[in-house]
Amino acid sequence: MKKTQLAIALALGAVTAIAAAGDIEDQIRFRQSAYSFLGWNTAKIKAQASDHPDTFNKDEVAAAANAIAGVANSGVFEKLYGPGTDKGIGWKPSRLKPEFFEKQDEAKEINATFIKEANELQKVAAGGDPAAIKAQFGKLAATCKGCHDLIRIRE
Amino acid sequence: MKIETHVWDWPLRLFHWLLVVAVVSAYASGRAGGEWTDWHGHFGSLVLGLLVFRLLWGFVGSRHARFVDFFPTLPRLIAYFKGRWQGAGHNPAGALAVLALLGTLAALAGTGLFANDDIAFEGPLFHLIDKDLSDKLSGWHIRIVNLLMGLVGLHLAAIAFYQRVKKNNLILPMLTGKKQLPAALAPRTVQPVRFLPLALSLLVAASTVWSVWGGSFVDYLAPLAGVQTASADAETSN
Repeated sequence: MKKTQLAIALALGAVTAIAAAGDIEDQIRFRQSAYSFLGWNTAKIKAQASDHPDTFNKDEVAAAANAIAGVANSGVFEKLYGPGTDKGIGWKPSRLKPEFFEKQDEAKEINATFIKEANELQKVAAGGDPAAIKAQFGKLAATCKGCHDLIRIRE
Repeated sequence: MKIETHVWDWPLRLFHWLLVVAVVSAYASGRAGGEWTDWHGHFGSLVLGLLVFRLLWGFVGSRHARFVDFFPTLPRLIAYFKGRWQGAGHNPAGALAVLALLGTLAALAGTGLFANDDIAFEGPLFHLIDKDLSDKLSGWHIRIVNLLMGLVGLHLAAIAFYQRVKKNNLILPMLTGKKQLPAALAPRTVQPVRFLPLALSLLVAASTVWSVWGGSFVDYLAPLAGVQTASADAETSN
């Protein structure tokens, strides 16, 4: 009887572990995709509002800012940084530092600022003034750096 | 009996203090990030230009600016640590620090050219290499900063040590160019700066920076490396 219980417990444990492993990899994959998509949009804003002002296209920049705000507000931080997600492999190995789980409060604060600045950028971009967009984009970029410095492993 | 002797030529002194400004500014803007990131690139370019100038000036500059004058060979180092070294320019231990500082800054400028921050910054030569390699170089760029901080700390500590213990002010000569030296060393004074070597060094330094950022360097090299140029890539990636 005891043996059967143990076997069931072990089997259940194994199933849970497999499910969790899949979930961990999903979380990493989704968040890596989110940042990659963010990068596509930040590059457009940087190029058009800052580096090559002659290419400035109000609608494209506004669309990029909407996309960034969309990702920022989608719950990436709350939903895709579960326990164990510092170890797994998504599209490639995660660069999340294991210390993340002790520094969650600090990261949470940066994330809140990130969302605030992304929302503000969305507003400013709708206005279509390249100088204002550039300035607000700088504030947003600083929040990205804040998190990279805190919880991302250096290559 | 000590004689006031001209040891550091003015381009060398200007180089030194501009380098201080450029490095401190690059450090501060790099730490700040965000809207300062572009400035970090500009200050990094200034460092690069200054280093190229210093390299050339080490061959064509005045006496004590030249690498042959202060290169810390083993005999010179042994003589120095036995207290037998005599000279007007960098002493052998100081020369080691000079070369370490210049080498570290060259490594920083070199990695910075290919770096990216995964936010909105790409070094001017980023497009010549893979993203993975750029990520690695970006990681090293930041690690090397720790080495630089250590060397700068050592540099400042040595200056303080000379000031306090050896009663030898090293800062003033780097401002005025003049040192109080024993009469025997006074003939080691430097000649006035020659125009042609100075103009050529400045020209090469400036054109290095200009070509790196101006894109012509990239446009020239890119077909050889079989990659798209930065400008063509920027259009297709949007």
